Amino acid sequence: MPDLSRLLREKNIIFVTLALCLVFYLISPRFLSLDNMSAISRQIVPIGLIALGQFFVVVSGNIDLSMGMGSVLFAIVLGVFFGMTGGVALGIVAVIACSLALGFFNGVLVTKLRLPAFIVTLSMLFCAQGLSGLIIPRGQQIFLMGDFFRFIGAEKFMGLYWSFLFLVALFVLAWVVYNHTRWGAAVIAVGNSEENARLAGVNVDRVKIGVFMFSALCSGFAGIMLSSRMGFVQPGLDGNGLLLDGIAAIIIGGTLILGGRGTIGGAFWGLLFIGVINNALNLLNVEDVWHQVFKGAVILAALGANWVLWQSRQVEAH
Amino acid sequence: MTTTTAAAPARRGKAMDSLTQRYLVLIGLIVIASVGFGIANDNFYSLANIGILLRSIAVLFLVSMGMTFIMLTGGIDLSVGSNVAFAGGVGVIALTATDSALVGFAAAVLAGMAIGAINGVFIGRLRLSAFMVTLATFALARGLALVIYDADSINVFNGAFLWLGGQSWGNMPVVIPFVALVFVALSVLLYRSPFGRDVYAAGSNFNTAFVLGRMPQRTLVWVYVLSGALAGLSAIITVGRVSSGQPWTGLYLEFDAITAVILGGTSLFGGRGRLLGTILGVLLYGIIINGLVLTGTNPYLQNLIKGLILLGVVLLDTLVQRRKAQ
Repeated sequence: MPDLSRLLREKNIIFVTLALCLVFYLISPRFLSLDNMSAISRQIVPIGLIALGQFFVVVSGNIDLSMGMGSVLFAIVLGVFFGMTGGVALGIVAVIACSLALGFFNGVLVTKLRLPAFIVTLSMLFCAQGLSGLIIPRGQQIFLMGDFFRFIGAEKFMGLYWSFLFLVALFVLAWVVYNHTRWGAAVIAVGNSEENARLAGVNVDRVKIGVFMFSALCSGFAGIMLSSRMGFVQPGLDGNGLLLDGIAAIIIGGTLILGGRGTIGGAFWGLLFIGVINNALNLLNVEDVWHQVFKGAVILAALGANWVLWQSRQVEAH
Repeated sequence: MTTTTAAAPARRGKAMDSLTQRYLVLIGLIVIASVGFGIANDNFYSLANIGILLRSIAVLFLVSMGMTFIMLTGGIDLSVGSNVAFAGGVGVIALTATDSALVGFAAAVLAGMAIGAINGVFIGRLRLSAFMVTLATFALARGLALVIYDADSINVFNGAFLWLGGQSWGNMPVVIPFVALVFVALSVLLYRSPFGRDVYAAGSNFNTAFVLGRMPQRTLVWVYVLSGALAGLSAIITVGRVSSGQPWTGLYLEFDAITAVILGGTSLFGGRGRLLGTILGVLLYGIIINGLVLTGTNPYLQNLIKGLILLGVVLLDTLVQRRKAQ
């Protein structure tokens, strides 16, 4: 029954998400209101950017733990430049430059020196957090005001937030790159087997460095989106929560954590799932303390479910 | 397969040589760091401060020893810090409910083992990547701790429960001999028991260990349960030290433990390392951190320094090993 298992694996999250929406709607009709839907669409933007960057990293068989705290650092970079110049252009250039530099650094350490990605990015997580707090002292914040931040954070186009449209456009772009370009195929090949990819003529190191630069760039964008929505930046922003949500989204979306498998569509539905859960927890007045429990449990459950599905797939293949 | 038995003693001997060298370097660095901070801070050498230092890193000793077992199998445990908070919460709740220190101890250790068992089953039996699974339990255990405490601290007054973490004989905290005892017990387990050999076997080559019937899957489960149990003991000590249970305790403790273990010469890729190295690593790392705190360094700068230390040590190790290989 390849069709059934395929349907289950790739589409199950759609049914689960829709069913959840229905349940939440029955509990609180406000859940499906237009206002709340657009609120969800705005809340998931930073998470979605993290998920998208992490998706490519995980498919290539690595992990980037520095993405969450990286976003916070980049948001602060933006804030500092905004505070100095009163404009955003220079700040955004700085964010892009810094994020690409961080990604390049991560990638070089992982490829050229063959260090494990989780150790490199774990130490980067700490460096980013430390730097954030050194740039802006603890307890202080920089307020971000002006047309640009209102545009990113609050303006809509035909009822949809611009930031959400930007995210969707990026997902579409990523889908094309992932499914229809040599680079996308190379990322999958590297995730399946670096040795085979190398023999097939793929420049493995360059692909991996590219993947890390992309994920860091995504966290830079996430930082911009996050700070625009909040209207201020400070070092105490919850970068690790962002990282966990992003990882949860792609695991729920069926990405194989060992690398080499995963779909952009799945990642997007996983993202919607996380967005719905996060929103519902707030809307239904679930106490804050429960949120992390849910997140941990959801990731564990998704890991287990993925395992079962891949296991059944392997049995079929034999 | 036949070569493993013949080659093992020789390779082990060589590994010990380079590890011994490393331990000498570590001891040298510990002396240098102590002298440096001694000059920077007059209080550093007082007996009281040494007691405070050792007590403050007692938890790191325990957690790092558990982490050593895990890293010897080639794994990682990002959940220990959260687990310390969770186990502490369960212990404190059990204690206040029954007013029996013994029940509190047992509850804390069992709670720690439970999180460890989740890690172990997902990593050992399902063969999922360790950092992914423990990242999930990192969130789960912290969340459960916040739920248990309702995001607030709970004061503890039971003297027996606080004894281990809070009591001192003169300037010697009770917890130091306790840590030494655990070290001896774990050394026996690692070097003198079949389980210890299974740990090295699972980390050196999982597939070979599997083919030889050493059941590395089962070894992995128990290694994570052991780490959980040590997190439970750490929770008891943490509560005892401050006479209260706190939901945010042990934040980023796993990071400190990983750094200390790597500093102590245990390989990130499994199969190589010793508990003694971890003890030295914790001492050096603890002295540096304690020194940073004593000299009033900005906490964010401390984190930056911690990140750079981890990166630097891993980098140095890799470069040295590559040079040796050439």
